[in-house]
Amino acid sequence: MLQARGLAKRWPGGVPLFEAVDLDLAPGELVAILGESGAGKSTLLNIVAGLDRAEAGTVTVSGTTITSLGEDELARWRRRRVGFVFQAFHLLPYLSVEENVALPLLLNGVAAVERRGRAAAALAAVGMAAHAQRKPASLSGGEMQRVAVARAVVHRPALVLADEPTGNLDEANAAATMQALRDAVKREGAAGLLVTHSAVAAAAADRVLRLAGRRLGPA
Amino acid sequence: MNAPLAATLLRGSLSGNRWRSLLAVACIALGVALAGAVNTLHASALDEIDRAARLLAGAADYQVKGPRNGFTDEAFAAVAMHPAVAVASPVVELEAPVPGKAEALRVMGIDPFRAARLQPGFIADGAAARGGETPALLDVNAAWLTPVAMARLGVKPGDGFALGGPAGEVVLKVAGALPALDEGGPLAVMDIAAVQYLFGRVGTIHRIDLRLRDDAPREAALRGIAAALPPGVAIVKPDEAAMRTAGLTQAYRVNLTALALMALFTGGFLVFSTLALQAARRRQEFALLRALGLTAGGLRAFLALEGALLGAGGAAAGTALGLAASRAMLERFGYDLGAGFFSGTGNTFAPDAASLAAIGLLGVATAAAAALAVTRPLARLDVAQALKDRHLDLPSPPGGWALPLALAAGALAAAFVPPAGEIPVGGYLSIGLALAAAVMAVGPASRLLLDRVPASDAPLRTLARAQVKSLPGHLSAMVSGIVVSVALTAAMAIMVHSFRVSLDGWLSGVLEADLFARAAPQGDAVVFSPEAQARMAAVPGVDRIDPIRFERLTPEGATGLLTIIARPVDARLLRGFQADPPAPPPRGSGPPAAWVSEASVDLFGWRAGQEIVLPLAGRRAAFRVAGVFRDYSRTWGAVLVDLADYRALTGDPLANDIAIHLARDAEAKTVEAALGRVVAQVPGAELHDASYIHARALAIFDRTFAATYALEAVAILIALAGVTSSFAALAWSRRREFGVLRHLGLTRREVTRLLALEGAAAGIIGAVLGLASGFAVSVVLVHVVNRQSFHWGMAIHMPWLGVAVLLAAVIALCALGASLAGRAAVAREAVEAVKDDA
Repeated sequence: MLQARGLAKRWPGGVPLFEAVDLDLAPGELVAILGESGAGKSTLLNIVAGLDRAEAGTVTVSGTTITSLGEDELARWRRRRVGFVFQAFHLLPYLSVEENVALPLLLNGVAAVERRGRAAAALAAVGMAAHAQRKPASLSGGEMQRVAVARAVVHRPALVLADEPTGNLDEANAAATMQALRDAVKREGAAGLLVTHSAVAAAAADRVLRLAGRRLGPA
Repeated sequence: MNAPLAATLLRGSLSGNRWRSLLAVACIALGVALAGAVNTLHASALDEIDRAARLLAGAADYQVKGPRNGFTDEAFAAVAMHPAVAVASPVVELEAPVPGKAEALRVMGIDPFRAARLQPGFIADGAAARGGETPALLDVNAAWLTPVAMARLGVKPGDGFALGGPAGEVVLKVAGALPALDEGGPLAVMDIAAVQYLFGRVGTIHRIDLRLRDDAPREAALRGIAAALPPGVAIVKPDEAAMRTAGLTQAYRVNLTALALMALFTGGFLVFSTLALQAARRRQEFALLRALGLTAGGLRAFLALEGALLGAGGAAAGTALGLAASRAMLERFGYDLGAGFFSGTGNTFAPDAASLAAIGLLGVATAAAAALAVTRPLARLDVAQALKDRHLDLPSPPGGWALPLALAAGALAAAFVPPAGEIPVGGYLSIGLALAAAVMAVGPASRLLLDRVPASDAPLRTLARAQVKSLPGHLSAMVSGIVVSVALTAAMAIMVHSFRVSLDGWLSGVLEADLFARAAPQGDAVVFSPEAQARMAAVPGVDRIDPIRFERLTPEGATGLLTIIARPVDARLLRGFQADPPAPPPRGSGPPAAWVSEASVDLFGWRAGQEIVLPLAGRRAAFRVAGVFRDYSRTWGAVLVDLADYRALTGDPLANDIAIHLARDAEAKTVEAALGRVVAQVPGAELHDASYIHARALAIFDRTFAATYALEAVAILIALAGVTSSFAALAWSRRREFGVLRHLGLTRREVTRLLALEGAAAGIIGAVLGLASGFAVSVVLVHVVNRQSFHWGMAIHMPWLGVAVLLAAVIALCALGASLAGRAAVAREAVEAVKDDA
């Protein structure tokens, strides 16, 4: 599903951040990357998402080499094939929970009836169906992150990327979020990649890697 | 971007930013309303004049027209007997004062049998409306009134009414109604000979309506008729009446419209400022949309659509407001807000839909352009970074001095572009470029100013300086609104003050006599006869009188109108008129001397020493230009000639105004009372002392510019509302920072003071840049725009106190707005605030 080969990235001053990074993810597999702050975990995630450019190497997702795509092609590719979960949730405050979840479907031009059905199913899968009409501000942090997980998979992406998804949550909510994320990845057959400081979060993954000394390797 | 996505995002963003959106709508609505109101007032006036001219001309193909005071009726015979003429109808036309009312009634004297062949409405409907009585077409004291004139005078057929005439009140009887001519406005139609006799116009006509034979060769006929006309009399098409009026009022109209467009573009800047601040707050939202797959183009399209929708809301509200305001102003003040261009006309309300649509679209385009300008820095948004960090600023605008300096150089160059017609295109371009330069200079100037603020041990000052420096994008967006509104306000204040000081000085010189008598404050039917002039001169205590005669005509070889001012000219008068040179030349054997106004120099290209030819009393009269004088009374050309020369050339002994000089030892009150009794014998005539006229002229000036002051105040208030709302948003985003500061020992009051300091810093930068660009704009307004459109020269006079108050108020209100905006954010408990993750 995801193949990264020979990825290299430098800090703005030219000091290498990481180099010769290879990464393979299979459908339905959830992989966690651990690492110290500043090791380049988020940068690697952003390169895989097409939000940042590597100085060397290629990233291929479901046969598409995204490192050769232009800015707008990348945006369209992300729209169809990638789901995101962020540390700070990033739910739009002026949309309801259901509308937030349906946002990727809206971007992809899915019809209203289908949008509502799929958003409701995604919310039900993370246990948030009862909150569909509420605004994000009325939810707890854990609830917001489960809504974000539903949004990340509602359009059946090939790749689900999570950047410190439990960073703002307590242990119980972190565990619930990771369970929801793992279930979603398995259910949709997507490749899941999460970067985290948390060994607890990483424990929910099928495989754990560590980015250290500019190299990616087994934890 | 698809429609449902756009609709969902728009609904959310507009409702989530309700107050900011309303502010943006208000900015556009203000400009559209002003431009729409000015346009509607003028369109209504021209529509009425045009319709009246067409209606009264009836089937006439052409009109023979001459000077305002008319031309000899001997010309009629030559025209009527031309073989190509099918019908020729002479007309005497004047505006007679209505005793006891500050208004005049238009009186037309016609030959009913000839006029009816061109416009049956003069007779047929009128006869029917008399209800079977014998028509009195040729009765000397009979007048036929349009229904609107009867309503205005409060009379019906058979009633008597009076109008002011040169030899006293003229009492007339309403012979009947002319309903077919009602669209021509308030109008009295009489027999031509009766008008000539009763209103002292024997031997004079003002117009000949013409219809040529269908089989006559047109060009040859027109040439033949023109050859038979005396100098100063020409053949024109009937619809040129409205064109001539439009020409007279063009400068007035264009400048009011330009003022409104300035308000519109100020609105555009404020929309930019509002949307940019929204964009700063919505930075993470935009980053999320980009991460989820919205392209940069899609984001731009969304923001442009949002801007256009705000513009459409503003345009709709502004158009409705402009229509309502123009209707109210029309009913209260008339077409020209009392400027005196359209006296004697009715109050038709005729908005021009195409112009209003164009103004509305301009409002939409301005808002969309402002939104697009906001998207430029967003295109450089680092999506991954924006999703991760808590940085509050917009991407910094490109920040060097090169662009503002280039724009300033463009502004300077544009100021030297000659006008197109009478429209100072270069001046307006220069103003636009100067404002753009000021806005673009906000970034580098802020850095320059903040770098010069010395580091301090005072914690609040240090924190405020660091915070303001760390938000260059935010600061630019916020300050640009202040810069533009302060610049326009300062520019208008400097221009208006310069004009007022210049006008005050000019009035002191021009009103050099003790008293002034005016024969016809309303209309032109009443003049001072030689006998009336002699009676005034004979009043004990009067040293001398200076009769003043006005005539309006088209100079030979030109198309525009020109006013002749004939009065005794001496060095004192010339100094009063700020003439250059300020003394009359020695009288020689050549043509008599004439002084031309600055407008005449601009419009006709006349220069000192040049010989000019004016068609006076049906003859070509040559004058030598002796100098240039200043005339703040007219935006069209004027020529000042000595009364003795004028009378020698025309034989016209009448006077419109009289300047009266009292003897040194005269008891002013007694003499004024005696003169008042003499003047009262002329219906409608007025007598005032110079100080009264001086004060009244300044009061009219202040009233005319009152709308400008109101506009400036609104622009400042909108800009301050923008600052306050942006500080509110910024303070809310910074509540964690405030929580930390309070943990570190700052009180709520100190945090609020910190915000006040930041607000004051923004206010100072905006005020300094606004004043600098405002001064530049005022120089362009005074020396380019005013000169090219009104043709008035004046010097710059700084209203120091007003400017100081303006700047102090802006800085204080920015500080106050920022501290008030921060209160809600500071109100939260410190412990709660530092935990806040939203």
